[in-house]
Amino acid sequence: MQIIGTSGLALKPEIGRGAGAWCDDLKIVHVVVSAWQWPQTIANLRDNAQVAVTFARPTDYVSYQIKGMATVREAVAAEIERSSRYMVAIVSTLMRLGLMPEMITPWLTKREAMLVSIEPSSIFVQTPGPTAGTRIWNSAQ
Amino acid sequence: MTLELTDLEACFEGVVPSIISTADADGIPNISYLSHVVMVDDRHVALSNQFFAKTAANIRLNPQATLLLVDGRNGLQFRLALVFAYALEAGPLFEHTSLQLDASSAQVGMTGIMKLRNLDVFRVTKIEPIRSPVETTESLAPKRNRLAGVARIVEAIAAETEADRIVDVMLESIRTEFCFEHALLLQFYEERNQLVTIGSLGFQPSGIGSDVPLGEGVIGAAAASGRLVKVSDMSRVRRFGAAIRDSALSENRTRSIPLPGMPDAMSQIAVPLVAGGTVRGVLFLESRERRAFTAEDEVALSIVARQAAVALALGEKLSLETGSHRVAPAEHPASEQMIRVVHHSFDDSVFVDGDYVIKGIAGRLLVSMLEQHLANGTLEFTNREIRLDAALKLPEFKDNLETRLLLLRRRLDEKQLPIRLVRLGRGRIGIRIEGRLRLRKDMA
Repeated sequence: MQIIGTSGLALKPEIGRGAGAWCDDLKIVHVVVSAWQWPQTIANLRDNAQVAVTFARPTDYVSYQIKGMATVREAVAAEIERSSRYMVAIVSTLMRLGLMPEMITPWLTKREAMLVSIEPSSIFVQTPGPTAGTRIWNSAQ
Repeated sequence: MTLELTDLEACFEGVVPSIISTADADGIPNISYLSHVVMVDDRHVALSNQFFAKTAANIRLNPQATLLLVDGRNGLQFRLALVFAYALEAGPLFEHTSLQLDASSAQVGMTGIMKLRNLDVFRVTKIEPIRSPVETTESLAPKRNRLAGVARIVEAIAAETEADRIVDVMLESIRTEFCFEHALLLQFYEERNQLVTIGSLGFQPSGIGSDVPLGEGVIGAAAASGRLVKVSDMSRVRRFGAAIRDSALSENRTRSIPLPGMPDAMSQIAVPLVAGGTVRGVLFLESRERRAFTAEDEVALSIVARQAAVALALGEKLSLETGSHRVAPAEHPASEQMIRVVHHSFDDSVFVDGDYVIKGIAGRLLVSMLEQHLANGTLEFTNREIRLDAALKLPEFKDNLETRLLLLRRRLDEKQLPIRLVRLGRGRIGIRIEGRLRLRKDMA
């Protein structure tokens, strides 16, 4: 699962969910985000590009947070298709953990799908526990 | 429609983790999953922030935050705009949250790992629903008139003076008024440092006489802390101690009665019975539904539990006054059959015809009544006599005679033994022995 943090005017923080993510050549991370469901997230990214994305594995909450700068454009058909495959997979995963599908469907949509492409500047461990918040990589390395 | 915090109750049950977004003074955002979000009042929420130093630092530089909550019934999402108000490291709210966290950590085998360090309290400035791509049929929480239900339960309890009626009326009216089908009432016995089940609703076998050590599980935690403990979603919790056993055979071997429980319970709540500033017992309920117990139920059950605690304490006092004598013909044994009673003095356990009945003070009380019967044919006792006798023989005995007699009577009834206790009116009890009694005291 992907959760996107941004900030807007007067440093107001915002939250959004991703609907699928992948990376290109280990340099850029792409996340599909619905501008229909998360309009302020998309507006913030267009305004200042600053982003934090948490990737969490639902089975055990092993999580990492990537911070960096992002560009936004409309997703193309192949990217929307990839997002659709993710949605099927995450519903299956969460159902195996005991969540009903109707619980999950309000979180996932490809309406007005945008592709958010992030160039990471640092990566942190975000798994709940004593090591949460530890930086494991930054672009200066 | 303007949303209020109280409309979002199903978001605070911890079924789907909440998420907070903050930003530092340069606008660099940060995301954290939260283990606990608590509604403080209708304008404030408190977040437990065990591990996320970055969130804590950010809100001190930029007090704005955005919280994403998910309704545990239908997945609907809500965005809350927050402003950091203050941090808490002690006090009733902190202790309450800490206890909930300890209870849920213990259930998932993480005792002590999820220790609550502090709570950050935020003022809620705006609540907005997030657009959902699907229609949800389930709307906001149905309005139930818990207050009227509480009034009827409390009225029914207040009409009773005898412990067994107080216990039964409470459990039965919880079922009829609140539609909760499974409940236990446990009394705290100081000399054993244990809670013992004296009332049972919906469980088969009833578990009357089963015990829970102080501090163990949700029931023990509620008694040790004097605070309500609730678990709303046990879907990933591996339950122990609920294995189906041949309880009678196992009882005879272990001299302990298994605590009843639903193997597939999703929600549990343990409410302390407090009177005169002392924890006297615990009311425990469980349900197969997720989030079966709402915040309103917590309040309602707390009032009911306190009323029951007061009624039981008053009943104890009243039982020392002997009321009018009900008709109690002292019958001769209808049967010539031999009844073999064995008393093991090391734990005061009593067996009747090889069946384990009870141990501890209740066991001693039974043996003492049987001894008096054998010595001079006594078949009737007053609470005053029993209490005096118990006080002489049992230095650890302090209180709760009524509930101990209730426990004993219920065990004898449940095991369908040829020795029974019957109430003969306020402060009077009779013993019925259907056969020829032989009492053996095993001093080993």
